[in-house]
Amino acid sequence: MPPVTRRDLLIGASASGVGAAVAGASGYQIASSAGASSQAEALAKQKAADATRVLDAKVPFYGQHQSGVELELQTFTSFVAFDADSHLNLEAFERWMLLLTDDIARLQSGEPVLADAQPQLALGPARLTVTVGLGPRIFDVLNIAALRPAGFAQIPKQKIDKLEERFSEGDLLLHISADDPIVLSHAQRALIRDSLAFGKVRWAQQGFANAQGVNPGGVRQRNLMGQVDGTDNPALGSEQFEKVVWIDAESTDQDWLIGGTQLVLRRIAMQLDTWDKLGRTEKEEVIGRNLENGAPLGKQNETDLPDFGARDESGLLHIPGFAHIRNASARTADEIFFRRPFNYEIGVSELGKPDVGLLWTAYARNLSKQYLPVQERLSKVDLLNLWTTPIGSSVWLIPAGVTVEGEMICSSLIAAAKLL
Amino acid sequence: MNKLTLAAAAALLATTALTGCTSSTPAADQTQSTVDEKKAALAIENGWVRVSEYSDHTGGMTGVFATVTNNTDTDITLVGGSAEIAQMVEVHEVVMSGGAMTMQKKEGGIVIPAGESVTLEPGGLHVMLMNLNKAILDGDQITLTLDFDGADSQTLTLPAKTSASGDETYNPEN
Repeated sequence: MPPVTRRDLLIGASASGVGAAVAGASGYQIASSAGASSQAEALAKQKAADATRVLDAKVPFYGQHQSGVELELQTFTSFVAFDADSHLNLEAFERWMLLLTDDIARLQSGEPVLADAQPQLALGPARLTVTVGLGPRIFDVLNIAALRPAGFAQIPKQKIDKLEERFSEGDLLLHISADDPIVLSHAQRALIRDSLAFGKVRWAQQGFANAQGVNPGGVRQRNLMGQVDGTDNPALGSEQFEKVVWIDAESTDQDWLIGGTQLVLRRIAMQLDTWDKLGRTEKEEVIGRNLENGAPLGKQNETDLPDFGARDESGLLHIPGFAHIRNASARTADEIFFRRPFNYEIGVSELGKPDVGLLWTAYARNLSKQYLPVQERLSKVDLLNLWTTPIGSSVWLIPAGVTVEGEMICSSLIAAAKLL
Repeated sequence: MNKLTLAAAAALLATTALTGCTSSTPAADQTQSTVDEKKAALAIENGWVRVSEYSDHTGGMTGVFATVTNNTDTDITLVGGSAEIAQMVEVHEVVMSGGAMTMQKKEGGIVIPAGESVTLEPGGLHVMLMNLNKAILDGDQITLTLDFDGADSQTLTLPAKTSASGDETYNPEN
Protein backbone atom coordinates (compact mmCIF):
# COMPACT_ATOMS: atom_id res chain seq x y z
CA MET A 1 0.00 0.00 0.00
CA PRO A 2 1.20 3.56 -0.54
CA PRO A 3 2.73 4.97 2.60
CA VAL A 4 0.39 6.90 4.84
CA THR A 5 1.72 10.41 5.04
CA ARG A 6 2.20 12.28 8.23
CA ARG A 7 -0.35 14.82 7.00
CA ASP A 8 -2.98 12.12 6.53
CA LEU A 9 -2.44 11.09 10.09
CA LEU A 10 -2.69 14.56 11.47
CA ILE A 11 -5.92 15.11 9.54
CA GLY A 12 -7.17 11.77 10.79
CA ALA A 13 -6.35 12.72 14.33
CA SER A 14 -8.05 16.08 14.26
CA ALA A 15 -11.05 14.73 12.37
CA SER A 16 -11.65 12.15 15.03
CA GLY A 17 -10.59 14.34 17.86
CA VAL A 18 -9.02 11.46 19.74
CA GLY A 19 -5.99 9.93 18.08
CA ALA A 20 -4.91 7.47 15.46
CA ALA A 21 -2.65 4.52 15.09
CA VAL A 22 -1.66 3.24 11.72
CA ALA A 23 0.79 0.56 10.72
CA GLY A 24 3.00 2.00 8.00
CA ALA A 25 3.88 0.13 4.85
CA SER A 26 7.23 -0.94 6.25
CA GLY A 27 5.80 -2.21 9.48
CA TYR A 28 6.59 0.54 11.90
CA GLN A 29 3.96 2.26 13.91
CA ILE A 30 2.77 5.80 13.58
CA ALA A 31 0.43 7.46 15.98
CA SER A 32 -0.74 10.84 17.04
CA SER A 33 -3.39 12.07 19.38
CA ALA A 34 -5.38 15.18 20.03
CA GLY A 35 -3.14 16.67 22.69
CA ALA A 36 -0.38 18.81 21.23
CA SER A 37 2.21 17.24 23.51
CA SER A 38 1.30 13.70 22.58
CA GLN A 39 1.27 14.75 18.94
CA ALA A 40 4.81 16.01 19.33
CA GLU A 41 5.66 12.81 21.15
CA ALA A 42 4.18 10.80 18.30
CA LEU A 43 6.21 12.67 15.72
CA ALA A 44 9.36 12.22 17.80
CA LYS A 45 8.73 8.48 18.01
CA GLN A 46 8.01 8.41 14.31
CA LYS A 47 11.27 10.20 13.66
CA ALA A 48 13.13 7.72 15.87
CA ALA A 49 11.53 4.79 14.02
CA ASP A 50 12.47 6.38 10.69
CA ALA A 51 16.05 6.77 11.86
CA THR A 52 16.49 3.02 12.38
CA ARG A 53 14.07 1.83 9.69
CA VAL A 54 16.82 0.08 7.70
CA LEU A 55 18.24 -1.61 10.79
CA ASP A 56 14.89 -2.75 12.16
CA ALA A 57 13.56 -4.37 8.98
CA LYS A 58 13.43 -8.13 9.48
CA VAL A 59 13.09 -11.01 7.02
CA PRO A 60 11.38 -14.00 8.70
CA PHE A 61 13.58 -17.07 8.98
CA TYR A 62 10.79 -19.64 9.27
CA GLY A 63 8.89 -20.39 6.08
CA GLN A 64 8.21 -22.85 3.30
CA HIS A 65 11.23 -21.57 1.35
CA GLN A 66 14.61 -20.36 2.53
CA SER A 67 14.82 -16.60 2.70
CA GLY A 68 17.11 -14.50 0.53
CA VAL A 69 15.69 -15.62 -2.82
CA GLU A 70 12.19 -14.19 -3.34
CA LEU A 71 13.23 -10.87 -1.90
CA GLU A 72 14.18 -7.41 -3.09
CA LEU A 73 17.94 -7.01 -3.22
CA GLN A 74 19.71 -6.16 -0.03
CA THR A 75 22.52 -3.62 -0.30
CA PHE A 76 25.43 -5.89 0.70
CA THR A 77 26.06 -9.52 -0.07
CA SER A 78 28.62 -12.24 0.49
CA PHE A 79 28.75 -15.70 -1.02
CA VAL A 80 30.91 -18.05 1.07
CA ALA A 81 31.69 -21.52 -0.29
CA PHE A 82 33.13 -24.39 1.72
CA ASP A 83 34.93 -27.57 0.75
CA ALA A 84 33.54 -30.29 3.00
CA ASP A 85 36.11 -32.29 4.97
CA SER A 86 36.77 -35.53 3.10
CA HIS A 87 35.62 -37.54 6.13
CA LEU A 88 32.38 -35.57 6.57
CA ASN A 89 29.63 -38.11 7.14
CA LEU A 90 25.89 -37.77 7.48
CA GLU A 91 26.05 -37.64 11.27
CA ALA A 92 28.54 -34.74 11.17
CA PHE A 93 26.57 -33.01 8.39
CA GLU A 94 23.50 -33.12 10.63
CA ARG A 95 25.49 -31.48 13.45
CA TRP A 96 26.64 -28.79 11.00
CA MET A 97 23.06 -28.07 9.91
CA LEU A 98 21.91 -27.95 13.53
CA LEU A 99 24.45 -25.24 14.35
CA LEU A 100 23.76 -23.26 11.16
CA THR A 101 19.99 -23.39 11.70
CA ASP A 102 20.29 -22.09 15.25
CA ASP A 103 22.74 -19.39 14.17
CA ILE A 104 20.68 -18.19 11.22
CA ALA A 105 17.41 -18.08 13.18
CA ARG A 106 19.09 -15.89 15.80
CA LEU A 107 20.98 -13.66 13.36
CA GLN A 108 17.95 -12.95 11.17
CA SER A 109 16.16 -11.78 14.33
CA GLY A 110 19.03 -9.42 15.03
CA GLU A 111 20.27 -11.49 17.97
CA PRO A 112 23.82 -12.74 18.66
CA VAL A 113 24.54 -16.44 18.12
CA LEU A 114 25.31 -18.73 21.06
CA ALA A 115 28.94 -18.31 22.14
CA ASP A 116 29.13 -15.12 20.07
CA ALA A 117 32.61 -13.61 20.30
CA GLN A 118 31.21 -10.15 19.42
CA PRO A 119 27.57 -10.09 20.60
CA GLN A 120 27.74 -6.27 20.54
CA LEU A 121 27.82 -6.39 16.72
CA ALA A 122 24.39 -7.99 16.45
CA LEU A 123 23.02 -4.48 15.93
CA GLY A 124 19.68 -5.60 14.52
CA PRO A 125 18.26 -7.62 11.62
CA ALA A 126 18.85 -5.10 8.77
CA ARG A 127 17.03 -7.56 6.44
CA LEU A 128 19.79 -10.10 6.99
CA THR A 129 19.20 -13.36 5.17
CA VAL A 130 21.38 -16.45 5.11
CA THR A 131 20.60 -18.99 2.41
CA VAL A 132 22.24 -22.42 2.56
CA GLY A 133 23.11 -24.24 -0.67
CA LEU A 134 24.60 -27.63 -1.53
CA GLY A 135 27.08 -28.23 -4.36
CA PRO A 136 27.03 -31.34 -6.57
CA ARG A 137 30.09 -32.98 -4.99
CA ILE A 138 28.79 -33.05 -1.39
CA PHE A 139 26.49 -35.93 -2.37
CA ASP A 140 29.62 -37.97 -3.11
CA VAL A 141 31.36 -36.88 0.10
CA LEU A 142 28.31 -37.91 2.13
CA ASN A 143 27.94 -41.09 0.08
CA ILE A 144 24.36 -40.23 -0.89
CA ALA A 145 24.80 -39.81 -4.66
CA ALA A 146 21.35 -41.37 -5.20
CA LEU A 147 19.82 -38.21 -3.71
CA ARG A 148 21.50 -35.83 -6.18
CA PRO A 149 18.88 -34.57 -8.66
CA ALA A 150 19.28 -35.79 -12.23
CA GLY A 151 21.32 -33.39 -14.34
CA PHE A 152 22.53 -31.30 -11.38
CA ALA A 153 26.20 -30.59 -12.15
CA GLN A 154 28.61 -27.70 -12.67
CA ILE A 155 27.85 -25.69 -15.84
CA PRO A 156 29.77 -27.25 -18.77
CA LYS A 157 32.72 -25.08 -19.76
CA GLN A 158 31.60 -22.38 -22.19
CA LYS A 159 34.05 -21.16 -24.82
CA ILE A 160 33.83 -17.63 -23.36
CA ASP A 161 34.73 -18.90 -19.85
CA LYS A 162 38.04 -18.09 -18.21
CA LEU A 163 37.13 -19.68 -14.92
CA GLU A 164 39.38 -19.38 -11.89
CA GLU A 165 39.29 -21.99 -9.16
CA ARG A 166 39.28 -19.30 -6.45
CA PHE A 167 35.83 -18.20 -7.65
CA SER A 168 34.38 -21.55 -8.70
CA GLU A 169 32.60 -24.66 -7.41
CA GLY A 170 32.29 -25.79 -3.78
CA ASP A 171 30.37 -28.20 -1.54
CA LEU A 172 28.35 -25.89 0.71
CA LEU A 173 27.27 -22.30 0.17
CA LEU A 174 26.31 -19.66 2.70
CA HIS A 175 24.78 -16.74 0.84
CA ILE A 176 24.62 -13.90 3.35
CA SER A 177 23.02 -10.55 2.56
CA ALA A 178 21.98 -7.52 4.60
CA ASP A 179 21.33 -3.83 4.29
CA ASP A 180 24.21 -3.06 6.67
CA PRO A 181 27.82 -4.13 6.09
CA ILE A 182 28.66 -4.53 9.80
CA VAL A 183 25.62 -6.70 10.43
CA LEU A 184 26.70 -8.78 7.43
CA SER A 185 30.32 -9.03 8.56
CA HIS A 186 29.34 -10.13 12.06
CA ALA A 187 26.96 -12.80 10.74
CA GLN A 188 29.55 -14.10 8.28
CA ARG A 189 32.20 -14.39 10.98
CA ALA A 190 29.90 -16.33 13.30
CA LEU A 191 28.70 -18.69 10.56
CA ILE A 192 32.22 -19.40 9.32
CA ARG A 193 33.48 -20.03 12.85
CA ASP A 194 30.72 -22.57 13.42
CA SER A 195 31.46 -24.29 10.08
CA LEU A 196 35.19 -24.84 10.45
CA ALA A 197 34.69 -28.15 12.27
CA PHE A 198 33.14 -29.53 9.07
CA GLY A 199 34.99 -27.94 6.18
CA LYS A 200 37.34 -25.26 4.92
CA VAL A 201 36.48 -21.98 3.23
CA ARG A 202 37.01 -22.41 -0.51
CA TRP A 203 36.21 -18.82 -1.47
CA ALA A 204 34.22 -15.78 -0.36
CA GLN A 205 32.88 -13.27 -2.86
CA GLN A 206 31.48 -9.91 -1.79
CA GLY A 207 29.10 -7.73 -3.74
CA PHE A 208 26.69 -4.84 -3.46
CA ALA A 209 23.53 -3.34 -4.89
CA ASN A 210 21.93 0.07 -4.45
CA ALA A 211 21.55 1.47 -0.95
CA GLN A 212 18.07 1.45 0.59
CA GLY A 213 15.99 4.41 -0.47
CA VAL A 214 17.67 4.64 -3.88
CA ASN A 215 15.60 2.29 -6.02
CA PRO A 216 11.83 2.70 -6.06
CA GLY A 217 11.46 -1.08 -5.66
CA GLY A 218 11.80 -4.35 -7.47
CA VAL A 219 14.96 -6.31 -8.09
CA ARG A 220 16.09 -4.38 -11.17
CA GLN A 221 18.97 -1.99 -10.78
CA ARG A 222 21.74 -0.63 -12.96
CA ASN A 223 24.90 -2.67 -13.29
CA LEU A 224 28.30 -0.99 -13.46
CA MET A 225 28.13 -0.78 -17.27
CA GLY A 226 25.13 1.47 -16.76
CA GLN A 227 22.53 -0.97 -18.02
CA VAL A 228 19.21 -1.58 -16.35
CA ASP A 229 19.45 -5.18 -15.16
CA GLY A 230 16.68 -7.65 -14.39
CA THR A 231 13.85 -6.15 -16.45
CA ASP A 232 11.88 -9.23 -17.51
CA ASN A 233 12.24 -11.09 -14.23
CA PRO A 234 9.25 -12.99 -12.83
CA ALA A 235 7.63 -10.67 -10.28
CA LEU A 236 8.22 -11.44 -6.59
CA GLY A 237 5.17 -13.17 -5.12
CA SER A 238 3.71 -13.96 -8.54
CA GLU A 239 2.36 -17.26 -9.77
CA GLN A 240 5.04 -17.16 -12.46
CA PHE A 241 7.78 -16.90 -9.82
CA GLU A 242 6.35 -19.95 -8.06
CA LYS A 243 6.37 -21.91 -11.33
CA VAL A 244 9.81 -20.78 -12.46
CA VAL A 245 11.73 -20.96 -9.18
CA TRP A 246 10.21 -23.16 -6.48
CA ILE A 247 10.47 -26.89 -6.99
CA ASP A 248 7.26 -28.92 -6.61
CA ALA A 249 6.63 -32.67 -6.76
CA GLU A 250 6.19 -32.63 -10.56
CA SER A 251 9.40 -30.76 -11.30
CA THR A 252 11.95 -32.95 -9.52
CA ASP A 253 13.03 -36.56 -9.25
CA GLN A 254 14.00 -35.88 -5.61
CA ASP A 255 11.10 -35.41 -3.19
CA TRP A 256 13.43 -34.08 -0.49
CA LEU A 257 14.04 -30.99 -2.68
CA ILE A 258 10.37 -29.90 -2.86
CA GLY A 259 10.13 -26.28 -1.74
CA GLY A 260 13.71 -25.63 -2.81
CA THR A 261 15.34 -24.28 -5.94
CA GLN A 262 18.58 -24.36 -7.94
CA LEU A 263 21.05 -21.48 -8.12
CA VAL A 264 23.85 -20.68 -10.53
CA LEU A 265 26.37 -18.03 -9.50
CA ARG A 266 28.58 -16.63 -12.26
CA ARG A 267 31.32 -14.11 -11.55
CA ILE A 268 31.39 -11.96 -14.67
CA ALA A 269 34.27 -9.49 -15.02
CA MET A 270 33.59 -6.29 -16.95
CA GLN A 271 36.19 -4.59 -19.14
CA LEU A 272 34.99 -1.08 -18.40
CA ASP A 273 38.00 0.63 -20.02
CA THR A 274 37.17 -0.67 -23.49
CA TRP A 275 33.41 -0.46 -22.89
CA ASP A 276 33.82 3.26 -22.18
CA LYS A 277 35.28 3.73 -25.68
CA LEU A 278 31.88 2.97 -27.22
CA GLY A 279 29.43 5.73 -27.99
CA ARG A 280 25.96 5.67 -26.57
CA THR A 281 24.33 4.27 -29.72
CA GLU A 282 26.86 1.45 -29.94
CA LYS A 283 26.36 0.62 -26.25
CA GLU A 284 22.60 0.48 -26.79
CA GLU A 285 22.96 -1.76 -29.84
CA VAL A 286 25.21 -4.20 -27.97
CA ILE A 287 22.46 -4.75 -25.42
CA GLY A 288 19.37 -4.03 -27.54
CA ARG A 289 17.93 -1.64 -24.99
CA ASN A 290 18.23 2.09 -24.58
CA LEU A 291 20.36 3.31 -21.70
CA GLU A 292 17.91 5.98 -20.59
CA ASN A 293 15.11 3.79 -19.26
CA GLY A 294 15.97 0.27 -20.42
CA ALA A 295 13.25 0.12 -23.11
CA PRO A 296 13.95 -2.36 -25.94
CA LEU A 297 15.22 -0.52 -29.03
CA GLY A 298 12.25 0.65 -31.10
CA LYS A 299 10.00 0.73 -28.01
CA GLN A 300 9.15 3.33 -25.37
CA ASN A 301 9.08 1.70 -21.95
CA GLU A 302 11.33 -0.68 -20.01
CA THR A 303 8.54 -3.22 -19.65
CA ASP A 304 7.57 -3.18 -23.36
CA LEU A 305 8.24 -6.54 -25.03
CA PRO A 306 11.12 -6.44 -27.54
CA ASP A 307 10.10 -6.78 -31.20
CA PHE A 308 13.00 -8.71 -32.69
CA GLY A 309 11.62 -8.40 -36.26
CA ALA A 310 11.03 -4.64 -36.22
CA ARG A 311 13.09 -2.56 -38.68
CA ASP A 312 13.70 1.14 -39.03
CA GLU A 313 12.93 3.20 -42.19
CA SER A 314 16.20 2.13 -43.82
CA GLY A 315 15.32 -1.51 -43.32
CA LEU A 316 17.80 -2.22 -40.50
CA LEU A 317 16.75 -4.25 -37.50
CA HIS A 318 16.03 -2.07 -34.44
CA ILE A 319 17.62 -4.79 -32.32
CA PRO A 320 20.75 -5.99 -34.19
CA GLY A 321 21.47 -9.68 -34.67
CA PHE A 322 24.40 -9.54 -32.26
CA ALA A 323 22.45 -7.79 -29.45
CA HIS A 324 22.50 -9.36 -25.99
CA ILE A 325 18.75 -9.48 -25.48
CA ARG A 326 18.15 -11.25 -28.79
CA ASN A 327 19.79 -14.41 -27.50
CA ALA A 328 19.14 -13.80 -23.80
CA SER A 329 15.37 -13.68 -24.25
CA ALA A 330 13.45 -16.87 -23.68
CA ARG A 331 12.73 -18.79 -26.91
CA THR A 332 10.35 -21.19 -25.17
CA ALA A 333 8.27 -21.05 -22.01
CA ASP A 334 10.85 -23.32 -20.38
CA GLU A 335 13.68 -20.80 -20.74
CA ILE A 336 12.61 -18.46 -17.94
CA PHE A 337 14.55 -18.06 -14.71
CA PHE A 338 14.86 -15.47 -11.94
CA ARG A 339 17.93 -13.23 -11.81
CA ARG A 340 19.18 -11.53 -8.65
CA PRO A 341 22.53 -10.00 -9.63
CA PHE A 342 24.84 -8.02 -7.37
CA ASN A 343 27.83 -5.90 -8.47
CA TYR A 344 31.37 -6.33 -7.28
CA GLU A 345 34.26 -3.88 -7.24
CA ILE A 346 37.59 -4.95 -5.77
CA GLY A 347 40.08 -2.12 -5.96
CA VAL A 348 41.67 -0.28 -8.87
CA SER A 349 44.86 -0.95 -10.85
CA GLU A 350 47.78 1.46 -11.06
CA LEU A 351 46.44 2.64 -14.42
CA GLY A 352 43.02 3.29 -12.98
CA LYS A 353 41.35 0.15 -14.26
CA PRO A 354 38.76 -1.05 -11.75
CA ASP A 355 38.33 -4.75 -11.01
CA VAL A 356 34.56 -4.76 -11.43
CA GLY A 357 31.80 -6.99 -12.57
CA LEU A 358 28.74 -8.92 -11.57
CA LEU A 359 27.99 -11.63 -9.08
CA TRP A 360 25.31 -12.80 -11.47
CA THR A 361 22.76 -15.24 -10.13
CA ALA A 362 19.90 -17.17 -11.64
CA TYR A 363 17.37 -19.27 -9.75
CA ALA A 364 15.33 -21.97 -11.45
CA ARG A 365 13.56 -25.24 -10.72
CA ASN A 366 15.93 -26.89 -13.15
CA LEU A 367 19.02 -25.06 -14.37
CA SER A 368 19.78 -27.48 -17.20
CA LYS A 369 16.34 -26.96 -18.73
CA GLN A 370 15.73 -23.29 -17.97
CA TYR A 371 19.14 -21.59 -17.88
CA LEU A 372 21.66 -23.68 -19.78
CA PRO A 373 20.11 -23.34 -23.29
CA VAL A 374 20.14 -19.54 -22.91
CA GLN A 375 23.75 -19.51 -21.66
CA GLU A 376 24.87 -21.73 -24.52
CA ARG A 377 23.21 -19.40 -27.05
CA LEU A 378 24.86 -16.37 -25.45
CA SER A 379 28.25 -18.10 -25.36
CA LYS A 380 28.04 -18.43 -29.15
CA VAL A 381 26.54 -15.10 -30.22
CA ASP A 382 26.50 -12.07 -27.96
CA LEU A 383 28.54 -8.99 -28.77
CA LEU A 384 28.55 -8.21 -25.04
CA ASN A 385 31.05 -11.08 -24.65
CA LEU A 386 33.72 -8.66 -25.95
CA TRP A 387 33.47 -6.64 -22.74
CA THR A 388 32.50 -9.34 -20.24
CA THR A 389 34.30 -12.51 -19.14
CA PRO A 390 32.94 -15.23 -16.84
CA ILE A 391 35.74 -15.90 -14.33
CA GLY A 392 33.82 -17.87 -11.71
CA SER A 393 31.01 -20.40 -11.80
CA SER A 394 29.22 -22.56 -9.26
CA VAL A 395 25.86 -24.28 -8.96
CA TRP A 396 23.88 -24.93 -5.80
CA LEU A 397 20.76 -26.68 -4.59
CA ILE A 398 18.83 -24.48 -2.20
CA PRO A 399 16.79 -26.86 -0.01
CA ALA A 400 13.37 -25.88 1.36
CA GLY A 401 12.97 -23.56 4.32
CA VAL A 402 12.49 -24.44 7.98
CA THR A 403 8.81 -24.17 8.83
CA VAL A 404 8.80 -24.84 12.57
CA GLU A 405 11.19 -24.24 15.43
CA GLY A 406 13.14 -27.40 16.26
CA GLU A 407 13.48 -28.48 12.63
CA MET A 408 16.71 -27.84 10.78
CA ILE A 409 17.86 -26.84 7.33
CA CYS A 410 18.25 -29.94 5.10
CA SER A 411 16.06 -32.01 7.46
CA SER A 412 14.25 -33.62 4.52
CA LEU A 413 17.56 -34.51 2.84
CA ILE A 414 18.89 -36.00 6.09
CA ALA A 415 15.67 -37.99 6.56
CA ALA A 416 15.89 -39.30 2.99
CA ALA A 417 19.58 -40.18 3.45
CA LYS A 418 18.80 -42.22 6.56
CA LEU A 419 16.40 -44.33 4.50
CA LEU A 420 19.03 -45.20 1.87
CA MET B 1 -4.21 -2.06 -0.81
CA ASN B 2 -5.87 1.34 -1.00
CA LYS B 3 -4.61 4.31 0.86
CA LEU B 4 -5.86 4.23 4.40
CA THR B 5 -8.90 6.46 4.57
CA LEU B 6 -9.78 8.89 7.31
CA ALA B 7 -12.70 6.65 8.23
CA ALA B 8 -10.38 3.67 8.55
CA ALA B 9 -7.98 5.69 10.66
CA ALA B 10 -10.85 6.75 12.88
CA ALA B 11 -12.07 3.17 13.15
CA LEU B 12 -8.59 2.03 14.08
CA LEU B 13 -8.26 4.53 16.85
CA ALA B 14 -11.71 3.66 18.14
CA THR B 15 -10.67 0.06 18.66
CA THR B 16 -7.19 0.93 19.85
CA ALA B 17 -7.22 2.76 23.14
CA LEU B 18 -3.88 4.43 22.79
CA THR B 19 -1.85 5.44 25.74
CA GLY B 20 1.32 6.13 23.85
CA CYS B 21 2.55 5.73 20.36
CA THR B 22 3.36 2.08 20.08
CA SER B 23 1.28 -0.94 19.26
CA SER B 24 1.15 -1.77 22.93
CA THR B 25 -2.34 -1.17 24.28
CA PRO B 26 -3.58 -1.49 27.86
CA ALA B 27 -5.34 -4.68 26.80
CA ALA B 28 -2.12 -6.07 25.38
CA ASP B 29 -0.23 -5.09 28.52
CA GLN B 30 -2.74 -7.00 30.56
CA THR B 31 -2.20 -10.13 28.46
CA GLN B 32 1.53 -9.70 28.84
CA SER B 33 1.39 -9.46 32.62
CA THR B 34 -0.82 -12.54 32.77
CA VAL B 35 1.88 -14.35 30.88
CA ASP B 36 4.48 -12.92 33.24
CA GLU B 37 2.66 -14.34 36.22
CA LYS B 38 2.68 -17.76 34.61
CA LYS B 39 6.37 -17.58 33.73
CA ALA B 40 8.51 -20.40 35.03
CA ALA B 41 10.04 -19.74 38.42
CA LEU B 42 13.40 -20.33 36.81
CA ALA B 43 14.22 -19.57 33.18
CA ILE B 44 17.39 -20.94 31.60
CA GLU B 45 18.10 -19.36 28.22
CA ASN B 46 20.76 -19.23 25.53
CA GLY B 47 22.52 -22.29 26.92
CA TRP B 48 25.45 -23.97 25.18
CA VAL B 49 28.28 -26.37 25.88
CA ARG B 50 31.82 -25.49 24.88
CA VAL B 51 33.79 -27.60 22.41
CA SER B 52 37.57 -27.32 22.75
CA GLU B 53 40.69 -29.44 22.86
CA TYR B 54 39.74 -30.25 26.48
CA SER B 55 36.43 -31.82 25.42
CA ASP B 56 37.38 -33.79 22.30
CA HIS B 57 38.31 -36.99 24.14
CA THR B 58 37.05 -39.40 26.77
CA GLY B 59 38.09 -38.23 30.23
CA GLY B 60 38.07 -34.59 29.12
CA MET B 61 36.07 -31.73 30.53
CA THR B 62 34.21 -28.65 29.42
CA GLY B 63 32.02 -25.73 30.51
CA VAL B 64 28.29 -25.13 30.25
CA PHE B 65 27.07 -21.57 29.83
CA ALA B 66 23.61 -19.96 29.96
CA THR B 67 21.59 -17.12 31.39
CA VAL B 68 19.64 -18.17 34.46
CA THR B 69 16.75 -15.95 35.54
CA ASN B 70 15.03 -16.23 38.92
CA ASN B 71 11.42 -15.11 38.49
CA THR B 72 10.50 -15.75 42.13
CA ASP B 73 10.81 -13.46 45.13
CA THR B 74 13.28 -15.69 47.00
CA ASP B 75 16.90 -16.47 46.16
CA ILE B 76 17.65 -19.70 44.31
CA THR B 77 21.04 -21.44 44.36
CA LEU B 78 22.50 -23.54 41.56
CA VAL B 79 24.30 -26.27 43.47
CA GLY B 80 25.31 -28.85 40.87
CA GLY B 81 23.88 -31.36 38.46
CA SER B 82 24.28 -34.55 36.53
CA ALA B 83 24.72 -35.64 32.91
CA GLU B 84 24.98 -38.95 31.14
CA ILE B 85 28.03 -37.72 29.27
CA ALA B 86 30.07 -36.77 32.38
CA GLN B 87 31.03 -38.55 35.56
CA MET B 88 30.86 -35.33 37.51
CA VAL B 89 29.02 -32.01 37.18
CA GLU B 90 30.25 -29.11 39.30
CA VAL B 91 29.58 -25.41 39.73
CA HIS B 92 32.73 -23.39 39.14
CA GLU B 93 34.06 -19.90 39.29
CA VAL B 94 37.15 -18.35 37.71
CA VAL B 95 39.46 -16.37 39.95
CA MET B 96 42.79 -14.61 39.57
CA SER B 97 45.42 -16.69 41.29
CA GLY B 98 49.16 -16.24 41.05
CA GLY B 99 48.80 -14.01 37.99
CA ALA B 100 46.68 -16.54 36.10
CA MET B 101 42.97 -17.01 35.66
CA THR B 102 42.22 -20.34 37.20
CA MET B 103 38.96 -22.05 37.87
CA GLN B 104 37.86 -23.62 41.07
CA LYS B 105 34.75 -25.13 42.59
CA LYS B 106 32.33 -22.45 43.73
CA GLU B 107 31.73 -23.14 47.40
CA GLY B 108 28.07 -22.87 48.32
CA GLY B 109 26.96 -22.84 44.67
CA ILE B 110 25.85 -19.95 42.44
CA VAL B 111 23.18 -17.74 43.98
CA ILE B 112 20.56 -16.33 41.60
CA PRO B 113 19.03 -13.50 43.61
CA ALA B 114 15.25 -13.06 43.65
CA GLY B 115 14.03 -11.40 40.46
CA GLU B 116 17.48 -11.30 38.90
CA SER B 117 19.50 -12.99 36.16
CA VAL B 118 22.96 -14.50 36.40
CA THR B 119 24.96 -15.14 33.26
CA LEU B 120 27.19 -18.19 33.20
CA GLU B 121 29.92 -17.31 30.70
CA PRO B 122 33.45 -18.20 29.65
CA GLY B 123 35.91 -16.64 32.07
CA GLY B 124 33.25 -16.35 34.78
CA LEU B 125 30.75 -18.48 36.63
CA HIS B 126 29.92 -21.73 34.85
CA VAL B 127 28.90 -25.35 35.18
CA MET B 128 31.66 -27.86 34.55
CA LEU B 129 31.19 -31.27 32.95
CA MET B 130 34.13 -33.33 34.23
CA ASN B 131 35.59 -36.70 33.35
CA LEU B 132 33.65 -37.01 30.10
CA ASN B 133 32.42 -40.45 29.09
CA LYS B 134 32.97 -39.53 25.43
CA ALA B 135 34.17 -36.68 23.28
CA ILE B 136 31.89 -33.68 22.74
CA LEU B 137 31.80 -32.54 19.12
CA ASP B 138 30.49 -29.43 17.36
CA GLY B 139 26.73 -29.60 17.00
CA ASP B 140 26.26 -32.36 19.56
CA GLN B 141 23.13 -32.06 21.66
CA ILE B 142 24.11 -32.45 25.30
CA THR B 143 21.45 -33.33 27.87
CA LEU B 144 22.13 -32.42 31.47
CA THR B 145 20.19 -31.82 34.67
CA LEU B 146 20.90 -28.83 36.89
CA ASP B 147 20.07 -29.02 40.61
CA PHE B 148 18.95 -26.03 42.63
CA ASP B 149 18.28 -25.12 46.23
CA GLY B 150 14.93 -23.33 46.24
CA ALA B 151 13.70 -24.63 42.85
CA ASP B 152 13.07 -27.90 41.04
CA SER B 153 15.89 -29.51 39.08
CA GLN B 154 15.84 -28.71 35.35
CA THR B 155 16.79 -31.00 32.50
CA LEU B 156 18.09 -29.24 29.40
CA THR B 157 19.38 -30.22 25.97
CA LEU B 158 21.97 -27.73 24.75
CA PRO B 159 24.01 -27.47 21.57
CA ALA B 160 27.78 -27.89 21.75
CA LYS B 161 29.98 -25.48 19.81
CA THR B 162 33.53 -24.30 19.52
CA SER B 163 34.51 -21.15 21.34
CA ALA B 164 37.98 -19.70 21.53
CA SER B 165 37.00 -17.85 24.67
CA GLY B 166 37.15 -19.50 28.06
CA ASP B 167 40.55 -21.14 28.51
CA GLU B 168 40.65 -20.64 32.24
CA THR B 169 44.36 -21.37 32.47
CA TYR B 170 45.04 -18.37 30.20
CA ASN B 171 47.65 -16.12 31.78
CA PRO B 172 47.67 -12.58 30.37
CA GLU B 173 51.24 -12.03 31.60
CA ASN B 174 52.67 -14.76 29.40
